Amino acid sequence: MQKIMRLLVRFFRQEVRNSNVLFSLGLYLLGVSYLIYLLSGSTPSDSAWNTLLWVVVFFGSVQLSSRSFEFESGSYFYYYQTIATAKHTIIAKMLFNVSYIMLLSMATWGLFSVFFSNPVYNTALFFIGLILGATGFSVVLTLTSGIAHRTKGNATLGAILAIPLLFPVLQLTSAINLQAIVGVTLTDAANVLGTLVALDMGIGLLAYLLFPYLWQD
Amino acid sequence: MKGSIYKVLGVLLVVYSLIYGLLTKVPDMPIIEESIRNLFYHVSMWFAMVAMMAASFWNAIRFLGTEDLAKDRRSISLAEMGMFFSFMGLFTGMIWAKFTWGAWWTNDPKLNGTAITILIYLAYFVLRNSMDDARKKARISAVYNIFAFVMMIVFIGILPRMTDSLHPGNGGNPGFNSYDLDNGLRIVFYPAVIGWILVGTWIASLRYRLKALQE
Repeated sequence: MQKIMRLLVRFFRQEVRNSNVLFSLGLYLLGVSYLIYLLSGSTPSDSAWNTLLWVVVFFGSVQLSSRSFEFESGSYFYYYQTIATAKHTIIAKMLFNVSYIMLLSMATWGLFSVFFSNPVYNTALFFIGLILGATGFSVVLTLTSGIAHRTKGNATLGAILAIPLLFPVLQLTSAINLQAIVGVTLTDAANVLGTLVALDMGIGLLAYLLFPYLWQD
Repeated sequence: MKGSIYKVLGVLLVVYSLIYGLLTKVPDMPIIEESIRNLFYHVSMWFAMVAMMAASFWNAIRFLGTEDLAKDRRSISLAEMGMFFSFMGLFTGMIWAKFTWGAWWTNDPKLNGTAITILIYLAYFVLRNSMDDARKKARISAVYNIFAFVMMIVFIGILPRMTDSLHPGNGGNPGFNSYDLDNGLRIVFYPAVIGWILVGTWIASLRYRLKALQE
């Protein structure tokens, strides 16, 4: 646990040192949100609002995760192997990506509220949907960017591998968020929420078990 | 001789289902009419695909346990065969959809599941082609194969049951079981499934041997 915390602190420090990455992500969000605002011309319908939000978050997360392992390339890869085991690395990376994607989706939600007003009726359910969605995204994207990193191939490979795998998580999450917009109560949404929690836990465990096979030479 | 029994059986069952599927008496139903015979050709493709993908998944797990490259060759051969069946299932389904639902493609959970499955396994082939070192390629693609199979099962097996679908058995549409109780469909459908799985295994084993010779 302590080791995971130390790794996590390390990842955040690296991120702060490379603050231009965070800045460019913010600029992407602002640019895309404003683009949608310009093109749509009016407030989109509830389902269109939800769809656009998830498209923006989706591509932002894929973009974000594509450089998930950029500090572990070359000789740094061997250095990391001496300071942390594969299982610690994957957990720390997943936690790091969850917080990052969470930040991304909250920022998108904020920007959309500014440009198009906020149609969300059940804020608690919407927020839970975001957390569960970010968790699922983080699990899939961490594993696929690890795979893309190990092939030392092109940057698009990570996106090719991740996009079809993200659809189940994306579909469930956007369904939950649409329910939150319409105003379904927490108890009525329990069925979909339960499915998404089970899916997140299942793929999280699977990624945890598979990652050590990836993280060796 | 012993190893060829399943091949003979597979070919016989496929030929039987192809011919008898056109001759057998089928229930008379509105809209679907005689196109119900496509059940033998379309649905059996999906059963064969899932069987091939499951076998590929199983070989990927065994590769990670043993590091035996033969398991990896089996895994990729079976996945290629599964891909073939999924395309065949897609085409037979599109024809069926055009004549019963009126469109080649509809926004139906099962069709979306198929599209995602094809994308996932195409990504798997792209991943394999992006590496040279055989052992590393086998290990990394086995990791992806295992993860992808689980996601595919979630997408085609679990999510469609939570939403409405035009397919029988979902969203208020009755399943075939409520019609085919005369067993007339079953005695062609089940042999078709078994036959295609056996023929698929045969072709995959030929591809496996070809890959072994190439290396």
